[in-house]
Amino acid sequence: MTGTAEPIVMDLQRKPNIHPATQAKGEALLAALADLRTGTGLATEYLKELPVPHRRVERWKHTPVSGFWTTYEAPKVQTIQAAGCEACPVPGLHAYRIVFVNGMFDAEASDLPVHSGVRCEPVSMIASAPAEAGNLEKSDWFAALNQSHATEGMKLHVDKGVVLDRPLLVHHHTHGQKSANFLRHEIQVESNAQVQLIHWSTSNEAASGMVNIMMQLDVASGATVALDKVQDEAGQVHHLAFEQINQAQASQVRVHTGTIQGKWVRNDLNFRLDGEGCDAVLNGFFLPKDNEFVDNHTTVDHCAAHCTSSEQYQGILYGSSSGVFNGKVFVRPHAQQTNAYQQNGNILVTDKATINAKPELEIYADDVKCSHGCTIGQFDEEALFYARSRGIGESEAKAMLVHAFIGDVLDGFAVQEVRMEVEHRLATKHGWDTWNDTLESA
Amino acid sequence: MAYDGNDKVLEEVTGKSYEFGFTTDIESDKAPAGLNEDIIRLISSKKEEPEWMLKWRLEAFAVWKKMEEPNWPHLQYKKPDYQAISYYSAPKQKKQLNSLDEVDPEMRKTMDKLGISMEEQKRLSGVAVDFVMDSVSVATSFKEKLGELGIIFCSMSDAVKEHPELIKKYLGSVVPTKDNFFSALNAAVFTDGSFCYIPKGVRCPMELSTYFRINESGTGQFERTLVVADEASYVSYLEGCTAPQRDENQLHAAVVELVALDEAEIKYSTVQNWYPGDAEGKGGVFNFVTKRGICHRRSKISWTQVETGSAVTWKYPSCILKGDHSVGEFYSVAVTNNAQQADTGTKMIHLGKNTHSTIISKGISAGKSHNSYRGLVQIMPSADNARNFSQCDSLLMTDTSGAHTFPYIEVKNPTAKVEHEATTSKIGEDQIFYCLQRGIDEEQAISLIVNGYAKEVLNQLPMEFAVEAQKLLSISLEGSVG
Repeated sequence: MTGTAEPIVMDLQRKPNIHPATQAKGEALLAALADLRTGTGLATEYLKELPVPHRRVERWKHTPVSGFWTTYEAPKVQTIQAAGCEACPVPGLHAYRIVFVNGMFDAEASDLPVHSGVRCEPVSMIASAPAEAGNLEKSDWFAALNQSHATEGMKLHVDKGVVLDRPLLVHHHTHGQKSANFLRHEIQVESNAQVQLIHWSTSNEAASGMVNIMMQLDVASGATVALDKVQDEAGQVHHLAFEQINQAQASQVRVHTGTIQGKWVRNDLNFRLDGEGCDAVLNGFFLPKDNEFVDNHTTVDHCAAHCTSSEQYQGILYGSSSGVFNGKVFVRPHAQQTNAYQQNGNILVTDKATINAKPELEIYADDVKCSHGCTIGQFDEEALFYARSRGIGESEAKAMLVHAFIGDVLDGFAVQEVRMEVEHRLATKHGWDTWNDTLESA
Repeated sequence: MAYDGNDKVLEEVTGKSYEFGFTTDIESDKAPAGLNEDIIRLISSKKEEPEWMLKWRLEAFAVWKKMEEPNWPHLQYKKPDYQAISYYSAPKQKKQLNSLDEVDPEMRKTMDKLGISMEEQKRLSGVAVDFVMDSVSVATSFKEKLGELGIIFCSMSDAVKEHPELIKKYLGSVVPTKDNFFSALNAAVFTDGSFCYIPKGVRCPMELSTYFRINESGTGQFERTLVVADEASYVSYLEGCTAPQRDENQLHAAVVELVALDEAEIKYSTVQNWYPGDAEGKGGVFNFVTKRGICHRRSKISWTQVETGSAVTWKYPSCILKGDHSVGEFYSVAVTNNAQQADTGTKMIHLGKNTHSTIISKGISAGKSHNSYRGLVQIMPSADNARNFSQCDSLLMTDTSGAHTFPYIEVKNPTAKVEHEATTSKIGEDQIFYCLQRGIDEEQAISLIVNGYAKEVLNQLPMEFAVEAQKLLSISLEGSVG
């Protein structure tokens, strides 16, 4: 009848939409991967049942996946040295380091944390029962693909009350053509512990293929985690990043995502606020140019009362690039006193750039404050004129406006060195000399 | 739950039976249940339609058979059995009516209960009413007066016979039969509706209105409305609905098409108060409506809707801003109570240069209802300097209701300015407290707050409707604070 059923399950894939031709492409990809490498044998049932993404699958409506239906080769390079890349992409950063190259652990380049109460190891070196499928693997084909193929990753455990003295940098580098890289990071932060994580992805100019990284982050009560995520991949790499973050009572998690460069990037960031008094911050920026594609999908699932979440994504689109932003705030029936805020700002710089934004609210509790805003516009002509009338060139003036537009997000990065390096790389990519000069003199 | 009186008041409201829940006993001419080509031929022959119209219906039916009912809305309902519905029913009236006196007295009584005294309306408000009871127009007033200005305002069946050139040109031009499942179904089986044509440069001197009413048990209502405003003309069109109480779900799949030619303006207002079902959601109307307008150069289409009824609402009045400098507006108040569900919003498709659109949507959810706003703002590459402002607010009355927002914003032009903002909150306890302090009782306080909240939309309604809409909001919501 017309009575509404209890909306208890947050159904990311509300109604599956199977498209036979795309399904066949997914199977061909699975067959190609089976020839190339051994999988984990997990999540195979989901790979069979779930719809392979195509444009009639709501969460993939504006995200073209045709780049995945290609051939893959075994990687030739397995160390960062052989790839000719720096182990630490951030100069002057004093951090622990775990390095992966083409989906494989590089022990030479890594500098694993040595700290009491902290265990950090590559998954391949420990014998532990494989993790069960979470909500993501059950609802998204590419997440299930990750679980069925990721045999490597980082396993991090931080004991109760431990404060890690230095940030931990997880670096993944893709080198060479047609590689298929899967990583699965499992992170557990016990109560009242504190840790700063950096996730940095790079690739060389000639790189192509796919990178599929899943991060499972469990944060116990009172713990604090900051994650700075930077994507700076040259070449033709297709990058899929899934994060599932589960927060217990009074925990705090801040995730900042900066997409500097990438042919095709999809970030799928999911928060579940499972205890009272959680605080979640998720900010990000994307500045694609040429024909780059950046997609940010986020969900914040408020399951408990008295939680706050704050989200800000800023995008500036150049060339014939395209961007997608989809933010979903979900407030469950008993999550009273929820305070959820979401903001998405976009600037289209050129004729051929496109943006598809969808800020969603799904609210089943009444005593809440939820708001979202979304804007799409241009650089402020008057601000540009003001700067130019004071002798600042057009490109410099625009660089200043960019800095102001994404400034709030940049300010949020937890590690200062990361922020500086991000700004430096952005300035180099877009040729903002003055920006670089200021950074160097600082 | 700060106030003790709440539960009592809530009960009173939810326990309130549907005010307009009565049925009229009129003999009717009814087709057997089911849908096939023979039924469509029957409808077409009953309506004495020309051959091209039948062909058009059959083509739509062929398309419909291949389509699937959409499952993407945020709605949960048992899909109707389309073969269990009777697709034609007409009050038995053989001769043409010349005056109101000739109208069936039973039907006159129905009108009176609805508060539409035809004579009163004629004299006092200057509204021409095309009264549609179960698919066939039975009374049309002011026709002659409008005729002097060259305005055509008649039932769709008359229009097919009398103005085939206009119908051929515009019917299905805005909402093609293939557009969606319900529009295809409507095209195949629509029984009647209204047609309105405003000639070049004419400003329609009165508000045009049609009252729809579902009357016959077990029949679907498939209305088709077409409004064409020729160059530099203006028309304000009102549509209001009430339906008698039923235990089984009634299906309503209407199609409304608006054509605003160069420099024309159409204002289309709706107050929808169909039977929403009982407290458990049993019975109630399924309202699956496709409404769309096309704006040519410098024209304007404004949709205003007050949605308080129906068990399930699926409705997206849209504007295609094709011409340069055209304007689209959408103002909506959607109220859901008990087990009602609404998935409603708009689409603004910007094609022309300097096109502007405004969306103001106010959702109010009470009981265990769900109210979703779903909207699309699309700026195509050709739409230089397009501008959109959207505001979607939701007000939650109880902790068992839901309010959802699904805005789609797709921009392919760098000169576009698009703003979207949405908020969700509870009715302010401090506001109620303020009113109580000053001797305003809770019911009045809520009515005051809700009417203030919806004011931006109600202000857009023509006078006659604004009063009715305010009354409806109060009836639907008084005391339902959680």
